[in-house]
Amino acid sequence: MRFFCTIFLAMLLSSCWQKVDPRNPGSALATVWGYKPVYASIATAKQIIYSPTPQPVLRAGNIYAKDNLIYQVENGRGIHVIDNTVPANARRVGFLTINGCNQISIKNNFLYSNSYDDLVVIDLSDVNNIREIKRVAGAFPEGNTAYYFSQPPQAGYYECPRYDSVVTGWRMDSVKNSCYRN
Amino acid sequence: MKYFLNRLTIFVSLLLLLLASCEKDMNSVSSATGVGGSLSRFTIVGNYLYAVDDHFLYSYDISNGANPIKTGTSAINFDIETIYPFNNRLFIGTRTGLYIYSLDTPSMPSKISEARHARSCDPVVANDSIAFVTLKGSSSCGPAESGLYVHNIKNIFTPLLIRTLPMSNPEGLALNGNTLYICCNNDGLRVVNVGDPANPVITKTLTGAYFKDAIVYNNHLICFVSTGIMLYDIGSAANPVLVKTIAN
Repeated sequence: MRFFCTIFLAMLLSSCWQKVDPRNPGSALATVWGYKPVYASIATAKQIIYSPTPQPVLRAGNIYAKDNLIYQVENGRGIHVIDNTVPANARRVGFLTINGCNQISIKNNFLYSNSYDDLVVIDLSDVNNIREIKRVAGAFPEGNTAYYFSQPPQAGYYECPRYDSVVTGWRMDSVKNSCYRN
Repeated sequence: MKYFLNRLTIFVSLLLLLLASCEKDMNSVSSATGVGGSLSRFTIVGNYLYAVDDHFLYSYDISNGANPIKTGTSAINFDIETIYPFNNRLFIGTRTGLYIYSLDTPSMPSKISEARHARSCDPVVANDSIAFVTLKGSSSCGPAESGLYVHNIKNIFTPLLIRTLPMSNPEGLALNGNTLYICCNNDGLRVVNVGDPANPVITKTLTGAYFKDAIVYNNHLICFVSTGIMLYDIGSAANPVLVKTIAN
């Protein structure tokens, strides 16, 4: 009897799991456990803000040195600023939020970076007023779909993002298995 | 007398103006641009910003720094990895080879030559006569043999592979005169004497971190490691001395 109960229970449970062909994820929009986009409005996501509070490094990217400062990209989020005036005492001193970025170059007081598919110019001349002074929209078309958070961090099903907002992160949730990352 | 004083005032004013303009020039020369790592995809040469994405090289005139103007887009057509400037050239590392572009017309770089290789990842550094490329033949990058590839570029039109030094997991690299620093992930930071580029010799390996990229700046080596940033004094180029670790 216990044997039949087990079989019955197994059948019952297995009916909860729907097998979906990963190569044709649209074949059945079953609800599965997967990544769900965390959205921000385009206007919010593209705001550039400098804060004199160092941030933890989670997705370290390219490095850049100029004068007494070292910069390190936080992929998809912005740029860490390190005071290197005395190398033995070098330390993080602030964080420049540039969502969708992964590059940096500087000439004089202008920092050039990318924010999703835009080229952005940031004026560094006044440390109390570091700000975006120019945005060349659509400068890097590939950046629109290839920024750091455009796909979830791991393989598996995820909810296809909407296009009227920007994805600024991913969290696990029950999702329609509309997209799949290999 | 008054005439003489007037002339003197004009002369002194002119002299001051001249000195002031000198000072300005020197400042702008000494600190105009910084230095990026070898894994960069943005670089500035003179009044131009060059940026690559996976397939294209974009050129922007930044004579007016606050207002970049696009002057060119070149299709490179292969998976682009990195861009490195030296003198009047751009060295573009792609997954299928090293491409050299001329900046004779800085608004619109033109391809001079290429050194093809098996599919892999490859950052580049260079000087007047030699381009150093690391190939990382890992599963995600392709099947090439991992190592340092040395190209003679004295004839910029026909780069010549003169030496391959096998090493595992090479990634970013930085050149400091006759010393080349190669970040080899968990295998450490290789210090390589390239005084004779055809016979590079590993003289030292620093371990204890996962090294990804490095910059030579102000007598220091700035290393991007997986756990943070490590700063080495390279007053003695062949013997980096750790001065600071900034943990993530």
